[in-house]
Amino acid sequence: MAGPHTSRPGAQPAPKPLPVVNDENRPFWAGAARGQLCMQRCLACGHIRFPIQALCPRCIGGDFEWATLSGRAEVLAKVVYHRAFHPSYAADVPYNLVLVQLAEGPRMYGNVVGEDRDEVTVGDLVDAVFEPADGLYVPRFRKIGAN
Amino acid sequence: MSPDTLRGRAAIVGVGLTPQGKLPGSTNLSLQTDAFTLALADAGLGKSDIDGLLSEPGTTDMHWALDYLRLGRALGINPLYTGSFAMGGATAAALVQLAAMAVTSGMATYVACCFGDAAKTGKRRPLQAAGGYLGDETANNAAWGAFGAATWSALTASRHMALYGTTSEQLGEVAVAARRHAALNPAAMMRTPITVADHQRSRMIVEPFRLLDCCQVSDGGACVIVTTAERARDLARPAVTIEGMGQAFTTQDHECPDWWYGPHQKLAVERAYKMAGRGPRDVQVAQLYDNFTISVILWLEHAGFCAAGEGGPFTENGRIQLGGALPVNTHGGHLSAGHPQGWWTLAEGVRQVRGEGGPRQVPGAETCLVAGRGLVLNTASALILAKG
Repeated sequence: MAGPHTSRPGAQPAPKPLPVVNDENRPFWAGAARGQLCMQRCLACGHIRFPIQALCPRCIGGDFEWATLSGRAEVLAKVVYHRAFHPSYAADVPYNLVLVQLAEGPRMYGNVVGEDRDEVTVGDLVDAVFEPADGLYVPRFRKIGAN
Repeated sequence: MSPDTLRGRAAIVGVGLTPQGKLPGSTNLSLQTDAFTLALADAGLGKSDIDGLLSEPGTTDMHWALDYLRLGRALGINPLYTGSFAMGGATAAALVQLAAMAVTSGMATYVACCFGDAAKTGKRRPLQAAGGYLGDETANNAAWGAFGAATWSALTASRHMALYGTTSEQLGEVAVAARRHAALNPAAMMRTPITVADHQRSRMIVEPFRLLDCCQVSDGGACVIVTTAERARDLARPAVTIEGMGQAFTTQDHECPDWWYGPHQKLAVERAYKMAGRGPRDVQVAQLYDNFTISVILWLEHAGFCAAGEGGPFTENGRIQLGGALPVNTHGGHLSAGHPQGWWTLAEGVRQVRGEGGPRQVPGAETCLVAGRGLVLNTASALILAKG
């Protein structure tokens, strides 16, 4: 597949900016390396939050655990970049970005990869996959069904 | 005290707008001070009258909280009330609201609200993920290739189209209206009329957006001077009173299920209507922040000119053009005129209510809605302006 982290043979693309792994988000990226989508669940109110942050935005509770999610999600919105706004993506256009609603509640961004990536539309059901990218594994999605 | 007690008590008495476009050699500061001088002259005031100074840092310096201090030093003003605020395209109308509160409470008598941004030829913003200026986990949006200001509005357009059947041609109607108005505005950047077919032929940028769905990038400055409605009556220009003010924010975009639709934008306009004791039927002209075409369609719905989902069809048949039921962005908007972050929409609102629109004047424009939105679809502000 010609996804965001695939380079053109022979080309020397600028390195893609990668997530900065720190103490706060390390369990998310460690989970991705194991093939699991992990997010913070508030121990006070049970709310699962994303993006990663210190306090629960619902109850401002500071205690949480890392929950493993199913990876199942619905596509809420999809855009396709036909222009690279970062030079490292020049060989990747056109590529998509989706906003998905995870089954357990949180929303996140991702890319739909695989054979159906061009056909995927709002409302489609997707499942998380984890693709290697310079030492990290990045969660993306593949289509598993239409709405 | 209810905010309704502020209805009509403050007024905009001076507007300064520098040229907008490609201005080599300009800086954020030079554009602010140029605009300040123009606004003073417009109001017939002297520098010593100004005791309040509010600023919006340019987009290339958005986090620079000391912007007000640099501006005060440059102008030689020691204000009694000052500050810098960065709310993206919502800042202009939000600063007017802070100024209105300051002059009606007696904290200041004349407040100048200033903006300058050498966004086209000046210092470039660092290349970072869309929304990465928050400096937190948002920067990691880079992992999915989320770059460029079009990202959020394109997501909005994608969902609006899927839920309501809004079409690319209807987005095109917004671009066509803006360009038709810009053709009547000698100060606008893009003045050659376009058709929906031209829009459809323009290249894809971030699907569903084509080139003609995207706003201009420009250098430019703007300044608006606010005082009480009472003082405004003695000044040079026809007073434009601030009848209604509203702001609202969705700070946690992922945590809000309908964030993409901008619930805070609807709330901001509703609060402004409530203070004004007016509604959509009382508005003859609207200046709606249009960083991308979908933005206007959402505002039409948020401001009650049509129901949710009907913004697309509303744009058809010239309804948002001069001569239509609700002329929108009569100067050409950010799409065609230039992109001083909501300040030109504000300035144009004042000019329409004053009756200074020239060939693009909306006849009988007594009441104007000005609305702004910004950042990762996080901020919104709205003003109801009326003849004093």
